Amino acid sequence: MSLIQKGSEKALNILRALPRISLGNIKNSGKPKKVHKRGRGQHGGDKHGCGNKGSGQRQNYMRLGYETGNNPFYLRFPYEPYYKGHHLKKQYPPLSLNQLQIMIDTDRIDPSKPIDLAAICNTGLYKFRPEDNCFGVHLTDEGADSFKARVNLEVQWASEGTIAAVERNGGVITTAYFDVHSLWILRDPKKFFERGEALPRRMVPTSDVMLYYTSAESRGYLADPEKVGYERLVLAQKYGYNLPKIDPEDPLYSTLMERKDPRQIFYGLEPGWIVSMVDQEILKPKDEKILEFYRT
Amino acid sequence: MFIPLRAGGHWPHRHTSHSTTIHNSTIRIICFSVVGSRKLEFLNGYEPPRQAWVESLNSPEEEKLGIVDLHPDVFGEMPRIDVIHENVRWQRMYKFVCYAHTKVRSEVQGGGRKPWPQKGLGRARHGSIRSPLFKGGGVVHGPRSPTTHFYMLPFYKRVLGLTSTLSVKLAQDDLHVVDSLDIPTDDPNFLEDIVRSRNWGVSVLFIDDTDTMPRNITLATERIKHMNLMPVYGLNVYSMLKHETLVLTLPAVEKIEERILFHLHRADSAEKTKKYRLNQQ
Repeated sequence: MSLIQKGSEKALNILRALPRISLGNIKNSGKPKKVHKRGRGQHGGDKHGCGNKGSGQRQNYMRLGYETGNNPFYLRFPYEPYYKGHHLKKQYPPLSLNQLQIMIDTDRIDPSKPIDLAAICNTGLYKFRPEDNCFGVHLTDEGADSFKARVNLEVQWASEGTIAAVERNGGVITTAYFDVHSLWILRDPKKFFERGEALPRRMVPTSDVMLYYTSAESRGYLADPEKVGYERLVLAQKYGYNLPKIDPEDPLYSTLMERKDPRQIFYGLEPGWIVSMVDQEILKPKDEKILEFYRT
Repeated sequence: MFIPLRAGGHWPHRHTSHSTTIHNSTIRIICFSVVGSRKLEFLNGYEPPRQAWVESLNSPEEEKLGIVDLHPDVFGEMPRIDVIHENVRWQRMYKFVCYAHTKVRSEVQGGGRKPWPQKGLGRARHGSIRSPLFKGGGVVHGPRSPTTHFYMLPFYKRVLGLTSTLSVKLAQDDLHVVDSLDIPTDDPNFLEDIVRSRNWGVSVLFIDDTDTMPRNITLATERIKHMNLMPVYGLNVYSMLKHETLVLTLPAVEKIEERILFHLHRADSAEKTKKYRLNQQ
């Protein structure tokens, strides 16, 4: 028994000497909620706070910005579209290398398997909202110096410093684009599988990000693998580290070499397959037409 | 041997076993053993577990089988009377539908004709004898049926309501733990004898972990309206307060703790507490 009593313990001790708490003697604390009531009686029901006569009484509110006939302020000046297309801009909520290292250290992510958006979402610590134009994770270089994991990463956005930090440890990083529908699926795979629908094809990147995902500097998933290999070497020289070789003898070799097909959403699952949660099995299409559709 | 039970300042010493039989004028202790040396999850290391006697329903006299450890986060929570009140109000309101009804001027029969000409009579102008100014006319802003009063209390207020009420019941000696709900006879008098001799008040709520209760206690409580049986999944704040005494079986204690601790520590609690959106995928 500790000497310091917790508040709850004090309160419970006091309760021992008090009458039994029942339905009849409990009440809410604080002031009761004020409910606006319609006034009654001689003057209570006069105007109900709407004043006498005119626009206010008839609750005829003028439109916002209307200046009763003047040239309104908002129309006086020429149009300057500062925020044109702002609502369509793709957002990438950040995740730092530091946070990723903690997730790995606390067993929220298994580094022996390729890490994609689904694995990051599965930790329950990373949130993004596809309905708010969030297109996945932006891996930032915060904590790059203390990043020690050797992993196969697939993120949606990564800076040069981040790429260097991952490759310095002998890891692999790819930036990959997912369309909105795929993002909803990656965000909560279980929910999607329970719907019993076939996995769709991943769409190609939109024109605004096409350059990013086809360039080897950003390790885009559509870039030429040979160019990516060359850029890995360039980056190692730029940042001054020895690029560790990915050795076929390495137990992590198969993990590090695994990549998704540009049409693929999950590792190991192809478009057109159905994951049945009820039967705990994977259903694959056999019809040639359907196979042809999902192949293209 | 007297052990001050649940007297906040003193905790009984842990004995692994104690086989002496002690006769007291009121309490008979046989084979006192620590039933409660079970593993409690999520202990913070600062609060000692709460404790309760484990009794049996075999005889009308109180028969102690041992002591059980109870989790402080479930049975030693701050007694938030206001949250208990909010829970009780919610339980009363969410199923309440108000059927009070009044008619507006268009619903009252008649009144389609202008009662008298607009001008020339020296009388006030009126267009309908069912206007709210008229006796027998429609009612303005009156109650309309059916009005539902459904709302949901925030999830963790519901959890806190349960833990608060359980803690209050334990602190006020109105919570008893029994090994099982097996009684030797289906005679209602036997149950009433138990309640009388153990000062369990008048009304008792028995909670078991399953909803198939033992036959004897089911028959015995059938005619006694103030003694009720309830499975753990039905446990609620209103019923706990409605009954003076709460009797939990050991499996019920286990299950209540497991469920409440799960909700207190679940990783996806944000999913549980977020605003409900109709257009979510």
